[in-house]
Amino acid sequence: MTAPASSERSAWTRYVPFLAVVGAAVAIQFLVTSEFPARLDNFFSDPVDSLGAWGQVNRRTGTHPLFTLVFNPLTSAVDGGIELLETILSWLPWYILPTGIFVLIARRRRFLDATVAAAAMIYPGLMGLWDPTIETLALMSFAVLVSAAIGIPLGIWAAFRPRVEATLRPFLDIMQTVPAFVYFLPLLILFGIGKTNGAIATIIYALPPVVRLTTLGIRSVPKQSVEASDMFGASTSQTLFKVQIPTAMPTILAGISQTIMMALGIVVLAALVSAGGLGGLVLQSLQARRSGRGIAVGLAIVAVAMILDRVGRSLADSDRSKKLSQPARYGLLGGLFVGTAGGRLMEWTRFPSIWAPRSFDWIDTGVDWAIANWSPYTRAINDFIGGGIVVPLRNFFIGTVSWPALMLLVAFIVWRMAGPRLAVFSVLAMAFIGLIGLWDLSIDTVIQIMIAVIIAVVIAVPLGVMAGRNERVEAALGPILDGLQTIPSLVYIIPVVTLFTLGPMPGIIASVLYAMVPGVRITALGIRNVPSESVEASETFGATRPQTMFGVRIPLAAPTIMTGINQVIMMVLAMVVIAGLVGGGALGFETVRALTRNLYGHGFEVGLAIALIAMVLDRSTQALARRFQPPAAT
Amino acid sequence: MTSTAPSETPVLSTEHVWKVFGQKPERAVQLAEAGESRSDILAETGCTIGVRDVSFAVKPGETFVVMGLSGSGKSTLIRCAARLIDVTRGTVHIDGADFTAMNSQQLREVRRKKLSMVFQHFGLFPHRRVIDNACYGLEIQGVAKEERHERALEVLGVVGLSGFEYHYPQQLSGGMQQRVGLARALCVEPEILFFDEPFSALDPLIRRDMQDELIRLQQEMKRTIVFITHDFAEAIKLGDRIAIMKDGAFDQVGTAAELIRNPATDYVREFTEDIPKAKVLTARDIMSSGGDSSRRVESSASVLSLVPMLLNDPTPIAVTEDGFVIGQVDKATVATFMDEA
Repeated sequence: MTAPASSERSAWTRYVPFLAVVGAAVAIQFLVTSEFPARLDNFFSDPVDSLGAWGQVNRRTGTHPLFTLVFNPLTSAVDGGIELLETILSWLPWYILPTGIFVLIARRRRFLDATVAAAAMIYPGLMGLWDPTIETLALMSFAVLVSAAIGIPLGIWAAFRPRVEATLRPFLDIMQTVPAFVYFLPLLILFGIGKTNGAIATIIYALPPVVRLTTLGIRSVPKQSVEASDMFGASTSQTLFKVQIPTAMPTILAGISQTIMMALGIVVLAALVSAGGLGGLVLQSLQARRSGRGIAVGLAIVAVAMILDRVGRSLADSDRSKKLSQPARYGLLGGLFVGTAGGRLMEWTRFPSIWAPRSFDWIDTGVDWAIANWSPYTRAINDFIGGGIVVPLRNFFIGTVSWPALMLLVAFIVWRMAGPRLAVFSVLAMAFIGLIGLWDLSIDTVIQIMIAVIIAVVIAVPLGVMAGRNERVEAALGPILDGLQTIPSLVYIIPVVTLFTLGPMPGIIASVLYAMVPGVRITALGIRNVPSESVEASETFGATRPQTMFGVRIPLAAPTIMTGINQVIMMVLAMVVIAGLVGGGALGFETVRALTRNLYGHGFEVGLAIALIAMVLDRSTQALARRFQPPAAT
Repeated sequence: MTSTAPSETPVLSTEHVWKVFGQKPERAVQLAEAGESRSDILAETGCTIGVRDVSFAVKPGETFVVMGLSGSGKSTLIRCAARLIDVTRGTVHIDGADFTAMNSQQLREVRRKKLSMVFQHFGLFPHRRVIDNACYGLEIQGVAKEERHERALEVLGVVGLSGFEYHYPQQLSGGMQQRVGLARALCVEPEILFFDEPFSALDPLIRRDMQDELIRLQQEMKRTIVFITHDFAEAIKLGDRIAIMKDGAFDQVGTAAELIRNPATDYVREFTEDIPKAKVLTARDIMSSGGDSSRRVESSASVLSLVPMLLNDPTPIAVTEDGFVIGQVDKATVATFMDEA
């Protein structure tokens, strides 16, 4: 009996705390006019810089055991593993890889999957992208294999030991909250530039979904199935391997799929640390503003993801009843063997490509046409968002509002959303960011994030509501959303950059396109999962459709929609570095600058600032989502 | 399945079994022994009493039914008896050996050789075909594939699943899924079968089919069965002896006739009230001593079937068993059971 008190207060008194805070902020505004004292400007960057220099020396000629015994061997092992995969894949005659993939998947009679995966393997060859595709395939397979090899046992362990899970959870949370590119910098100190850095950052970033979904899968195995196995006298490992893991396999596979998608998302960024492959080519296309070539390469990246996904599913398929007959299997294997031997003898190793990325240059013509004809509109939009919104907001929050007043306002908002603990955390985070001298850049970043989030939500939520109500809308949106999510965002950013040329606009548009996908999907899910009985109950009272929508559907779907908005924010954060790269400046650009110029200390600080911003935004929106949840049954 | 179970040494017995859930089980047991109520114990120790000092013994070939409503502790009891959970106090004996004291190696050995269980929600393995579900127990024992498949095909035939061997369980109806559960349990030829509300999740008509099927199988197999149910009619239909469980303890244990004729508590009486006694009780249950007559009935004839005979001719009828007269029934006695029904 505690809740009613607040709802019975009169409208006027409810605004008292808000008015008090605004009043206090205004008062502070007149008292403090100085900039945030960046007292710790060099506190972290200097030691990290010397640490970076120390690491750089030790990697090459060092004697420190940490490098001679741990990091250098690890680097060689990872590099060696990836290169071994590359060597094997490029040693094979060109036609063996697609046919081999086909045979592997077709052994369980999944002929459609087999055809799709084989075609996906042929595309980069035809496009003249064979070598960089092999590089990317090797890097991603390695990262996904290692993620699975670490993640599945870890997930199983956590499923059986609640204490292990409780220990892991905060780490997994942070690993998923912090944008991937933040990992590149510390890894740069330890592993230098190159494939190892890219692979390890990918593994760290892509690990949480496998661990989480493995734990979930094992936990969700019906208790009676486990009891049944126990009752037959099965040992713990028999039950694990014969019952729990196979039953959990669909969920574990969903985790691997997500891991592949996350690895895909990072593969372009890995090019920033010289991981090479297709990502490097995308970056080049961006720098040269060649949309067509970017798309040609981007499709090859999508192809790699599709191959990994289909092969992974096939490897996990334990249904032996669907396997091919024995003569067919031996025939196919023999054929592959003979084909390999013959192809090697004849030196048929180069894929006979008939196109090149420049075959897609006609797209550039289209973009050029658009620039010529649409520039009045694009310029108007650019001026409106850039000059009319971003710049004034930046001037207001950086130039006009004094720092303690802003801290007070943020603390108040976070407190109302997520309670006192996070409010204290947000104040400390802001103070920290100010002390290390990133106050202005961080505010700039947050403003751009917020604008992108607001635009994405304004588009995504109504679309999601429509999709949730109407299956046709959903079916029509499906392929577009899939495309936006699988094609690396840097690819479709190229035409946007070419169209809008400069300023924060290209970054904002790319972030919106990329981030609205989960917003639409999760909102649609929330609307669709509203119990039909609740809707029918509303209709029997004679409610109109808008009444039912705003009185029943949206309130019941609100927690889910809020989760979608949280996802939108996280995706926009993941785009910060790309937005910075194409003219958004702020922390994103500083990250790129630090990565490409070995500014260890600066990069470390920028990474910390982004991580802190991500944590506050994530926790406060999650808390809001929980508040929308109706009280649980007691 | 009426009571002619031979009185040999029990196959399965429990002696003063307690099961307490919570952090302070010993204290909870002490309080319970001092006569404190469940809710007081929960308030004081945070512990819930699942099973409270239960002892019973099941004879070879006997079907022992534990009947209770939800929360009565019957499911906890069967899990203690099968050692899926450990008892707090007391012992369980299987074939005279102390089951509760066994280490995990011995426990697995006993389970492989002697026990099987059928579950309320079937507990089937969705990634295995019907035949691989059925032979799971044999696979665990390390029996070769050919041999276990042969055995599984045979058992699937017995439970009426021929033709479905290579389906996946989720492709079958609920009743057929439970037949898979039954086949899986029978495949290892267990001495003792535990049934944990196996038919509760099924539709009434399917449930009746499955009960008849079990009776048919039991007439051939004569296994020792511990059967849990919340359905008193099911308990009467299947059980040689029935235990009525309430608040973790047994209220009364006896044959169906004993429970119906002499309910020990009001709680037991409430269950018996809805039962058509004339259909459940037999001539043997209500006969009094007396001599031969020109009219004879088998001792297993239901009381209801005597009514037409007594309406035509009110004189007593002789009750026979194996050809010998063992008593007689008269119209007045039959009439009392008709009133109650």
